[in-house]
Amino acid sequence: MDPNRAAASTASSGRPRDGVGHPPDFPAGLRVLVVDDDPTCLKILDRMLRKCLYDVTTCSRAAVALAMLRERKGAFDLVLSDVYMPDMDGFKLLEHIGLEMDLPVIMMSADDGRDVVMKGVTHGACDYLIKPVRMEALRNIWQHVVRKRRNELKELEHSGSAEENDKQKRALDDGDNASSASEVSWKNVKRRKDGKEEEEEIEEREDPSTLKKPRVVWSVDLHQQFVAAVNQLHVDKAVPKKILELMNVPGLTRENVASHLQKYRLYLRRLNVPQNQARLDTPYTGASEATFHSVGSFDGLDIQSLAVAGQFPPQSLMALNSEPRRITTTGIGLSSVDQIGFNPSAQMANASNIRPAMMQQMSNKQLNFLSGPSSSMESGLLGQSQQPVPSYGNMGLRVSDGASGFFSLPSSQRTSTSFSGGTINANMTNSLVMQMTRQGQQFSLSQQQNRIHINMPQQPQTRGQLPNAIAAEHDSRLSTTMGHQILSNEVSRHGSGRCGSNMNVCTSLPEGYMNASSYGAVSQALYADFSNSCMNESTGSSYPLATGAGATTFTSTGMLQDAFPPVGNVEALGNSTSLKGVDFVPDYDLLSEVHQSKSRDWKLQNINISYQLAQQLGSKQSNIDFGSSLLAHQDPIATIKDESSRNTCIVRKETFSVRTDIEREKGECIAQCNSTILVENSVRVKAEGMSDLSYQGGLFDGNIIQNELMDVVGKKQQEGIGQVDPEFNFDGYSLDDIQGAVQKR
Amino acid sequence: MEYSNLRRQAAYMKKSLFDQGYLDEQFYQLEELQDDVSPNFVEEVVTLFFRDSARLISNIEQALDKCPQEFSKLNAYVHQLKGSSSSIGASRVKNECTLFRQYCDEENLEGCLKSFQKMKREHAVLRQKLESYFQLLRQVGPAEKATRPSM
Repeated sequence: MDPNRAAASTASSGRPRDGVGHPPDFPAGLRVLVVDDDPTCLKILDRMLRKCLYDVTTCSRAAVALAMLRERKGAFDLVLSDVYMPDMDGFKLLEHIGLEMDLPVIMMSADDGRDVVMKGVTHGACDYLIKPVRMEALRNIWQHVVRKRRNELKELEHSGSAEENDKQKRALDDGDNASSASEVSWKNVKRRKDGKEEEEEIEEREDPSTLKKPRVVWSVDLHQQFVAAVNQLHVDKAVPKKILELMNVPGLTRENVASHLQKYRLYLRRLNVPQNQARLDTPYTGASEATFHSVGSFDGLDIQSLAVAGQFPPQSLMALNSEPRRITTTGIGLSSVDQIGFNPSAQMANASNIRPAMMQQMSNKQLNFLSGPSSSMESGLLGQSQQPVPSYGNMGLRVSDGASGFFSLPSSQRTSTSFSGGTINANMTNSLVMQMTRQGQQFSLSQQQNRIHINMPQQPQTRGQLPNAIAAEHDSRLSTTMGHQILSNEVSRHGSGRCGSNMNVCTSLPEGYMNASSYGAVSQALYADFSNSCMNESTGSSYPLATGAGATTFTSTGMLQDAFPPVGNVEALGNSTSLKGVDFVPDYDLLSEVHQSKSRDWKLQNINISYQLAQQLGSKQSNIDFGSSLLAHQDPIATIKDESSRNTCIVRKETFSVRTDIEREKGECIAQCNSTILVENSVRVKAEGMSDLSYQGGLFDGNIIQNELMDVVGKKQQEGIGQVDPEFNFDGYSLDDIQGAVQKR
Repeated sequence: MEYSNLRRQAAYMKKSLFDQGYLDEQFYQLEELQDDVSPNFVEEVVTLFFRDSARLISNIEQALDKCPQEFSKLNAYVHQLKGSSSSIGASRVKNECTLFRQYCDEENLEGCLKSFQKMKREHAVLRQKLESYFQLLRQVGPAEKATRPSM
């Protein structure tokens, strides 16, 4: 797939595409999922669609359809659904799909009442067909797919720099879904009004180039409030109005909340594409939590990873720890990261993005992923810390606004962060990282606690790999994008080369917080790989990723050499996996920052896991030192070693020794994980405290999307990250219970 | 000869079904979907319809017996029936469903009952007619599906 195919970002990978990214015989082969409880209608529709040369899958139950969609993200282009179904209301399904997968949905019904049709429109259906459906009506349904993709692409272009777009595109190429095309347009998506759900153009509301000025700055605090509200209402049932009421923030409009919610869900979705949150189970939780202790202590935080980003010096990670939110340092400038001794090798810079999931640990709120500033983090990560990411949440995971760019991990890079046990290959696609930084997005990771659960399989070698669970939660927005991207990139890239440690970076980004589009792409890719790689191995090493308890941050990815206690927080799971050579330092603020009470910037929990840059392609997962992020506490000895290609940051933290070893090759990989890769996988942001870095214990399989790391690692990115298990569960991290949270999905 | 007679008969039967309003346009759509890949598509769908609609009808019947006041429930059942009957072009059945729903909306139990009876009848009649039709078609020969009106 050529990089520019992204334009179409067609999910169907592998097919030759035309300029728009469609296969030459388009619309033939369009993958349609039909949901209708009436067997007669279903049969007829099936036949009709096949006559149109579409690729049809039928389903008579909405729940099954949803599961199918979740399981195989990117496997469908379009959904046709009946309105009245016994097990689930068609509109509800529509909402879910829109938020989680962002696919075009067409409703059908024998009911042609105006109200019903209106309902379809307001819920975001692309079209509404009256039964009996005729062939002619079905022949043209492909237009909705094209339109959506174009819009996304447009957003992409608008939102980021061209470069970012490219990256995104490339990332998208990775088989991401069209919907993820706009990572960059995360912020744009943010603005998407409810009414125009249908992938309409997301106007670029904010400054296209960076999220610097979103209409509403979703600061970590705000985001945390948001997440708290969402969780209270239950993420599936949360409606903007109620969220708004619960949040009770003056000046915040329902629309703001709505768009943010949408992103959040997408983010979650992305993080947790295959709903693998399970992957990251526990091991991470513990770890992440632990690590996360107060972000401040990033020690382990992948500051290294952050450092990777160069921009974000571990300090930022540290800073994250220390400051309750703004760990600005971590992200970008990780000043505090010092501890980690980040040596951000160039690549590591990206790590900075890894806002240590550890941050989460930070007493749960510390993980601020550099939210707002995350944007800067991002940039930082990317190499230029644009603005010190205040909340270090932004490591790479800029989930917030539009970090979309973030995740455009260029497929080329795959950084596998080797997380303990598994290396998390964070293939950070450069683009992602770049995007992140570029975007300047505000990563207001507001408290999203996206926990990226990174499951790092315990590899014998790496233990440390903390699947940085991606703190993605935090900025879910950003991270998601990033995470997704990275993840996806990595994942895809990595193809499971993963080395031993499979870091399953499961970033469970808060549901719905997925970055719009970009995530999609990323997540898709990531997921693909991640799932494979990650979690494969046993998450045995269960990295305590997110365990807030002390383990803060472990984001260590990959190979943490010594068994270092998985740093609890893999918050950073967000590791952008694809640190592929990319230099971008995605701000991952994924730190699963469990929303630290407020402004948590994204705690980068996941320290850029993707730092893996070093990893060579294929070989191991780059060790993204994921763990690093989490370690806030101890003095992270983050030595980022940049071994030829890997940046290994050895963050040593007492709890979190994030060590990402560079897997394989070097053996020592230092935990680069900085980037908390936001593995987009289900980042479940749990409102409550940072719960969990939810890094799923799984080690990141290298694919830690550490955007930031990616940056650093960029060059080297190896595709290491193959399999970051995107499931990051970010369950509202509460630093305290990150551990537990880690798994929460 | 025989064959063409049969064909003519089949064609005639079909035409009268349309003329009498038992079938409508949608039935043509079904026929269009039939081809070499799915040579018996129409019959399959129709069979499926009758099986499924029989179940629905019995549900409605039960509901009318046990909890006739639950109009929304009745409404939901009938809506389903309406959807599937319209999909195969069972026009009369569909119309009766519409009427039934109206009665439900008005909460007119009596109207519902009456309408339901009528619906059942229409359903039975259609079933019978289509069965004969398909039988005839089978005699005509599979390859020769005289199902298409002069398209």
